[in-house]
Amino acid sequence: MESYSNYEIYLMTGTMIPFVSFVILMLFGHRLGKPLSGWVTVAAMASSCALATMTLVGWMGEIDGGTSAGLTAAAQLNQVTWAHLGSIPLNVGVKLDSLTVVMYFMVTFVATWIFVFSVGYMAGHSDEVDGQSKYHRFFCYLSLFGFSMLGLLCSSSLLFLFVFWELVGLCSYLLIGFYFDRKYASNAAIKAFVTNRVGDFGFLFGLMMVAFFLGTFDLEQAAARFAEQYQSHIGLFAGDMTIDLLGWEISGGMVATMMGIGLFCGAMGKSAQFPLHVWLPDAMAGPTPVSALIHAATMVAAGVYLVARVFRLLTPDAQMFIAIIGAITLTLMALIAIVQVDIKKCLAYSTLSQLGYMIFGMGCGAWIAALFHLMTHAFFKAMLFLCSGQVIEGCHHEQDMRKMGGLIRKMPVTAFTFLIGVLAIAGFGIPLAGIGLGGYFSKDEILAVAWDRAFLWGEPLEHHGDGHADSTTDDAPDSMTHTGPQAIRLVSRHAHVFGWNGGVIAGASAAPTGLVEFGRRDRGLTPPAIDYRPSGASQDRDTSRDRDASRGRDTQGAPAGFALASDPQPDEHGAAHDAGGGEHHPAAGAWQRSGGDRLWRVLFWCALATAYVTPFYMMRAWWMTFMGKPRDEHVYHHAHESPLMWFPLVVLAVFTFVSSYWLFRPLIADAAPTASGGILVAGYDGVADDAAAAAGQLIHVHEAHHWLAYGVGGSWLIAFIAAIAIYRGGLALPTRLKAAFGPIATLLERKYYFDEVYGLVFVKGCVAFAHVCRFVDTYIVDMFANLLARMTERLANFSGNGVDARVVDGVFNGIAVTSFDISDMFRSPQTGRIRNYVLFAAGGAALIVLFLIVMASLSAGPVAVASTGG
Amino acid sequence: MFTVGLTHYLVLAAAVFCCGLFVMMTKRNAIGILIGVELLLNSVNINLVAFDRYRPIGGTDGQISALFVIVLAAAEAAVAVAICMNLYSNLNTIDVDRGDALHG
Repeated sequence: MESYSNYEIYLMTGTMIPFVSFVILMLFGHRLGKPLSGWVTVAAMASSCALATMTLVGWMGEIDGGTSAGLTAAAQLNQVTWAHLGSIPLNVGVKLDSLTVVMYFMVTFVATWIFVFSVGYMAGHSDEVDGQSKYHRFFCYLSLFGFSMLGLLCSSSLLFLFVFWELVGLCSYLLIGFYFDRKYASNAAIKAFVTNRVGDFGFLFGLMMVAFFLGTFDLEQAAARFAEQYQSHIGLFAGDMTIDLLGWEISGGMVATMMGIGLFCGAMGKSAQFPLHVWLPDAMAGPTPVSALIHAATMVAAGVYLVARVFRLLTPDAQMFIAIIGAITLTLMALIAIVQVDIKKCLAYSTLSQLGYMIFGMGCGAWIAALFHLMTHAFFKAMLFLCSGQVIEGCHHEQDMRKMGGLIRKMPVTAFTFLIGVLAIAGFGIPLAGIGLGGYFSKDEILAVAWDRAFLWGEPLEHHGDGHADSTTDDAPDSMTHTGPQAIRLVSRHAHVFGWNGGVIAGASAAPTGLVEFGRRDRGLTPPAIDYRPSGASQDRDTSRDRDASRGRDTQGAPAGFALASDPQPDEHGAAHDAGGGEHHPAAGAWQRSGGDRLWRVLFWCALATAYVTPFYMMRAWWMTFMGKPRDEHVYHHAHESPLMWFPLVVLAVFTFVSSYWLFRPLIADAAPTASGGILVAGYDGVADDAAAAAGQLIHVHEAHHWLAYGVGGSWLIAFIAAIAIYRGGLALPTRLKAAFGPIATLLERKYYFDEVYGLVFVKGCVAFAHVCRFVDTYIVDMFANLLARMTERLANFSGNGVDARVVDGVFNGIAVTSFDISDMFRSPQTGRIRNYVLFAAGGAALIVLFLIVMASLSAGPVAVASTGG
Repeated sequence: MFTVGLTHYLVLAAAVFCCGLFVMMTKRNAIGILIGVELLLNSVNINLVAFDRYRPIGGTDGQISALFVIVLAAAEAAVAVAICMNLYSNLNTIDVDRGDALHG
């Protein structure tokens, strides 16, 4: 084992510090008391954040120096084998790559400021149950959450990722139910926990399949083995691989898909995707800082992180499934957000919708864009939640936006930071000017990739004869009627190279190790010098520095262990990319470029339409809260801001800017190329996996982006105008509109009746099932049990009263009674009276004498007797 | 002339012995029992002295033995009277049947 690098030590220490604070608060929290235990937590998280910052800064230096890949590989080797599961080693190690570093920084940073906010927030909240303060307990749980979340990010193994995954779930449960003396809070906590378990069941199932088919829990190794099996047609992808599942013959490709979907189920639970989304809005019952940290910025994003980590284990069908789930979630939840009047619930549905975007992006292959959106979203959504916390706290625990209004005069800082959040989530930006906020870059990039996937990505030519559906989720009948390899061939026609839109693409088939070196424009960039404008802003910027950087790196050569891509024209690619030119179409090859899947188009239109809905409901929420006339004198009168609470808002607002431009996207992009050749249809940011086609596809993505810059870039303006037009005159017009929409508004207000349906199907179903069980139990199981009991009773009766009482007891009682009688007989002469003893002694002596006389007479003869007698 | 021989002594001793035995068996008075015991001892003394006088070879073994018995009887009487005194002081009576505290 090699020695640990500084970064590994930083990350491990940073993870353990919140744990130490957790232990301290658990043992001495009640003694530390009200403000102090909060500050302990803040101090712990701040030191973690300091370590994370050191890691981040150092790591960017490593990337510049080209040594980061080596460190990642070294960290991969620095694993301790904790135990063996059969032949599978359970390794404990630190996952050290750009994604971990950047996520780690984000979590610690956001958490630190949210903890600071929490101290202010809890100052004004009652924290007593039955006369006992729970204040320290709140921060105790927050510390535990910090530890678990950081552990989750550092885990190099799926198994330990799962362990921390459950730990964050536990913290979420504890914190949602923090006000457990209120029925709705404890119900919400249980709902969150149970719903998450449903997803985790799938996760566990996927985990078992990974262990079984790939024989490892290690993320890196699992991906490598998966790719190897796919490329060499062994294991899951062997020609004769079928599995008999309850009489259904399932091909290896289908099994691989099920594995991917199983792992995704975990993300569905934690990131609250469509069928399991019901817990997140209810989770708002927890304290607002918890909603900001756990249910907006970090834990719910862990699902996206998980998908990113297991991305290389996904088959095209699994990707499709993920995209469908994401698209459903993002559309349905955005619509609900329009009618919400509770400020926190409105933000919760907005979070759901944005998580849907991320998941949808993952499904489309927009790996970088989805994670980039995760980052930007984490900052601005945490900030939005903290703003809402400030509002709620200031307005005397009023959450109903209908009672607010005009608060901008009372809470200017909150109003402006909230507005920044609204602009960021809305995708505010000016097309072609390169100015924008968060969502303008990240969300639009997802949309661009989705557009690419829907319109530019054809199915292979041969495929169309079979009907397009069989490449998607309907592989089952296909692979059942055909022989096993059919499903494999469907996917294996997609070649397997990943690249991203930075430029250079290498052929995986040419690389003996299966690893691919990617050219990365962003590699050489340090934070101040970062010259990168993501997405829509980039097409008109053809700076020579970019190309120089790119060329310079390509001539540096690849790090050891990586096959160097042969790229004859890096400049031309870069230039074409930057200019948005379309000259570099690939040779037709196996891909029909014009075709597209109808389903993908539907998904894309959903996502696009929702891009117009998002700014609308966000602006609505802002306007209802801060603008217009005060609608409730009491609330308005009470409104105030506290410095401990608005300062974190300002910090996060600044970082909303920072995260949009610098730092994050290049780092995420740096993490992306660790892929090896695999099964994916679309790799990072939708880039083709066909070596020949890939170069051209980048251009298409950015063509789309160019187009989207006009199509979506203006969405925020249109939606803002609509929202302001409706809500500027108070609530009269919205009420009329609601009445006009009647049933639709009701449907949205009732959240599509999901809770009711689940209540009916699952809760009532459970109860009904319980009744059936009770019936069976009472009348069938109990009958047998009673019969058995009665028989036993009879047998016992016979054995007890018959055998035992009569025979056994008789023998022993007989012995006892007899010995008692005998001893009584011996006892009776012992009167204790001296007279009797004298009598006996004298009598005895007389008898002896008589006896001697008789004996003497007998020996002397009858005569002597006669004489004696005489 | 009526000669007193060994047989007469023995009969006397047997008679005294029987009297002593009878007193011991019938009396509940501790002093009475003590008297009975003294009678028994004295009948033994008579036997000892008589056998010593009438035995073929001369000597004083029997008489010395009788002296020992007398001394012992005196010592025994002292102990017995002490017991009687204690009995009386504890029970206010010298009825031996009342002294049954250790009787099972």
